[in-house]
Order: sequence, then C-alpha cells, then structure tokens
Amino acid sequence: MKTSLGFGKLLLLVSLFSLTGCGTYNRLVTLEQTVNKKWADVQSVYQRRADLIPNLVSTVAGAANFEKSTLTEVTNARASVGQVKLDPSKAPTDAAELEKFQQAQGQLSTALSRLLVVSENYPQLRATASFQGLQAQLEGTENRISVERNNFNTAVQEYNTALERFPTNMLNKMFGFKARPFFTAAPGAEKAPEVKFDFNKPSPAATP
Amino acid sequence: MLGASLGFGAWGLGFLRRRFLGPILFCVVLAAEAASAAEVVPPKPPAYFNDYANVVSKEKARVLNEKLAQFERETSNQVLVAVFRKMQSDSSIEDYAQRIAQAWGVGQKSQSGGNGVVLLVFIDDRKMSIQVGYGLEGTLPDVTAFDIRSRHINPHFKNGDYEGGLEEGIDLICKAIRGEYRGDGETALEKRRTSGASSGCGPLGFLVMLIVVLVIIRLGRRKGGYGYTGLGGPFVSSGWGSGWSSGSSSSSSSSGGGFSGFSGGGGSFGGGGSSGSW
Repeated sequence: MKTSLGFGKLLLLVSLFSLTGCGTYNRLVTLEQTVNKKWADVQSVYQRRADLIPNLVSTVAGAANFEKSTLTEVTNARASVGQVKLDPSKAPTDAAELEKFQQAQGQLSTALSRLLVVSENYPQLRATASFQGLQAQLEGTENRISVERNNFNTAVQEYNTALERFPTNMLNKMFGFKARPFFTAAPGAEKAPEVKFDFNKPSPAATP
Repeated sequence: MLGASLGFGAWGLGFLRRRFLGPILFCVVLAAEAASAAEVVPPKPPAYFNDYANVVSKEKARVLNEKLAQFERETSNQVLVAVFRKMQSDSSIEDYAQRIAQAWGVGQKSQSGGNGVVLLVFIDDRKMSIQVGYGLEGTLPDVTAFDIRSRHINPHFKNGDYEGGLEEGIDLICKAIRGEYRGDGETALEKRRTSGASSGCGPLGFLVMLIVVLVIIRLGRRKGGYGYTGLGGPFVSSGWGSGWSSGSSSSSSSSGGGFSGFSGGGGSFGGGGSSGSW
C-alpha cells in the first residue's frame, strides 16, 4: 500500500513534468531573458541621464548668481545614484533592492526638475543654445526612462504570470525561477516639484 | 418530467444569476469606466501624410505624401505625418505621442529596432510632437528634433501657416535622417504587394475577402443603387475625426501613379524626439 502510493506520486510527478517539462522550461528562460534585456535598457537610459548631469551642472554654474543650493542638490543626488549599484545584466529579484534604486533615481528626478523650474528665473541662461540643447536632451531622456520602465514592467508581468500559472508553479522552484519586482509609481511623482524662491536675496535680474 | 426540467431550468437560471451576474455587471461597469477615462489611440493612417484637420490643401497633401513615399523607397526610412484636431487623452503630449507612434509601428523593425519618425500635430491643443524610432536616435537626436520643432515649425504655426510649417519640418527631418539606411526602391506596402501576391492568399485570406465582398454588395444594395464612392481608392479611410478620404476624388485607381499608401514595419519608439506647444 505504502509503496503503491509512493509510486502513484512519482507517476504524477513524471507525467506532470513530461506534460509541461521542456516547453515550459524554455518558455520561462525566454521570458526571463526578456526581463533581463529590458532591465538593461532601463539601466542604460538612467545612465544616459547621469551622463548628462556634469555638462548641465557646469553650464548652469556658469550663469551669474545661480542658486547654489539647487545645484548642490543635483550633484548630491547624482552621487547617491552612483552608490546604488545593481547588476545591469540581471534584473533584481529583491524588491527592496529595486526600491532603493528607484528611490535614489527618484531623488535625482526631483532635483533635476527643480533645477529646471528654478532656471525659469534666469532668462539669460535659458536663452543660451547650450542650455536649450541640454534641456531638450534631458526631457528626451526622461521620456525614454518612462518608456523603458513601462516596457520593463510589461516584461516582468508576463514572466511573473507565466511563473504563477498552474502547473508551472509546481516546477519553477525546482529550476530556481524567481518572480521579479516591478517599478512602482513613486508617491508624489505626478506632482510638480515644489520650489521656494528666496526673495530676500538680490534677484538675479537686479545684478548687473 | 417537464415540470422537473422547468424547475431545474429555473434553478439553473437562479444559479447562473447568483454566480455570474455579479461579475458580469462588475465587468460592464469596469469597461464603461475604462472607456470614459481611457485615451483613444487613432487607428493606423492609410498614408504618409494625413491631414485629418483640413489645414493643408489637397494638392499639397498629395505632393507631401508622394515625397515621403519616395523617401522610403530611397532610404527605407518611414516618416509619417498626422495632423489632428484634438488630443483624445489626458496624458501629456510626450506620452500620448509615444504610444501612438508605437501602436502604428512606423519604421522597419529590422533597422536597429525601427527607422521611423512620426510627426503628430494637434491643432486645437496647439501641441505637436516629433517621435523618433530607436534606429534613428543617432541621426535625429533630441536636440535636432527640438531645433526643428521650436525654430523651424513653431514660427510658421504661430502665424497659422500650417502648410509651410509642415513642409519645412518634413524637409528638415528627411535631411537629418537621410544616409543612415538605404532603401531598395520600394515602400513596405509595394514590397508586400509584389511578393505576397501568391503566398498571402491562404484559405483564411480568401474567406476574409469573400466576407468583405459580400458586405460591400449588401451595403451597395441598401443604398439603392448609388455607387459606393468611398471605395474608389486603394484604401478606405476609417473616418477618424473629420476623415480625409483619400481615394474618393481624382486618384481612383491604384495604378495610375496616384496615391502611395503607407504600411508600417513594426518599428519601436523609446520616447526619443521632442514635444511641446507653439
């Protein structure tokens, strides 16, 4: 009796495996590769943004009397982004890790959009071709970031769904497939950054 | 027997109602909500130059369309222009335009992900966007797109000169991306026509054709003998907005060197380009 039950179980497992086995495994591998590819795309657009910053900072710093605090904020945020190192070729499996990455990048986003808002006060700076060019690039990069993040989330969703579906979900642990976390919308990301102007300081227009 | 089955039927109905009516209602409500909040991505346009807002003369539209078709024959780059009255979305122009460009699949997928450019104009919103496919981000970087948009198209648009702005914009976009890829003398649609004539007509294709023909015949009858003029050209305008029906006027045959149609190649867009208002 005991052995026959064991045999039954084994038979069940074998039949399950043969039913779903190779095809499922290959499909999961493909989906996982897609997720990793999309992750690399996400990383590269974030890197592209980080690469723009030194140029932006030096252009803006050249403008007479530019608010120093805004610039320092951008530089600091850029530095903290550099500290959150994630493997660019493999999508993170740990949600907390991704959260940390997202938070650092979110801070940089906020600092950058604040910089752009503050620059409204410096018409001379905004009129220069180099600033306009940088702004165009920065805007384009932000658009790319949102597109690639969306693409990544779509890929993750497809992969996670495939993992959770019966009977794959009985096999995925055996092969070590793990669900991947998503990007989430940052709280307050849809709001424009808040900017406080200090009107006690001499305004840039008044200085020669 | 009858009573029993009736009783069972009633029970079955009740069961069905209890089990499924809730979810079905829920779905209906959800769908209605989604429809009211969601944006509308306009269907893929039939031509390279599509003026749904009637701001460009028919003659000019034909010339620009032909120019863009010829551009694809020479370079394989697809440049698509669509002028609409209004945005049908609550998103920003950047996001909306990217989704439209992606949905239309402008550009050949085989050329580094897509060598397409989409210029979208929304007249009433005073907004426009140049979306650049992955494969052209190198030759038409954001700065160039920004320059074309703000320094060359915007001044025309501000004066209400849409024709001039669009023409100059198209010229500059083509100039920027010429030389990146090489064409083979045919547009994607022409290629499909020549190569797919035999292979594309499987039994399913035949069935679809049959249905289309039947529907056309029915429609023709219902109209009581009037000719169905809208089908004169190679394409049927789907009538989005104040549809610009292409084939109904002079170019009624596809052979006579008339109208060149557009067919996308599945190109992808990553948000490159430049968007804004004028």
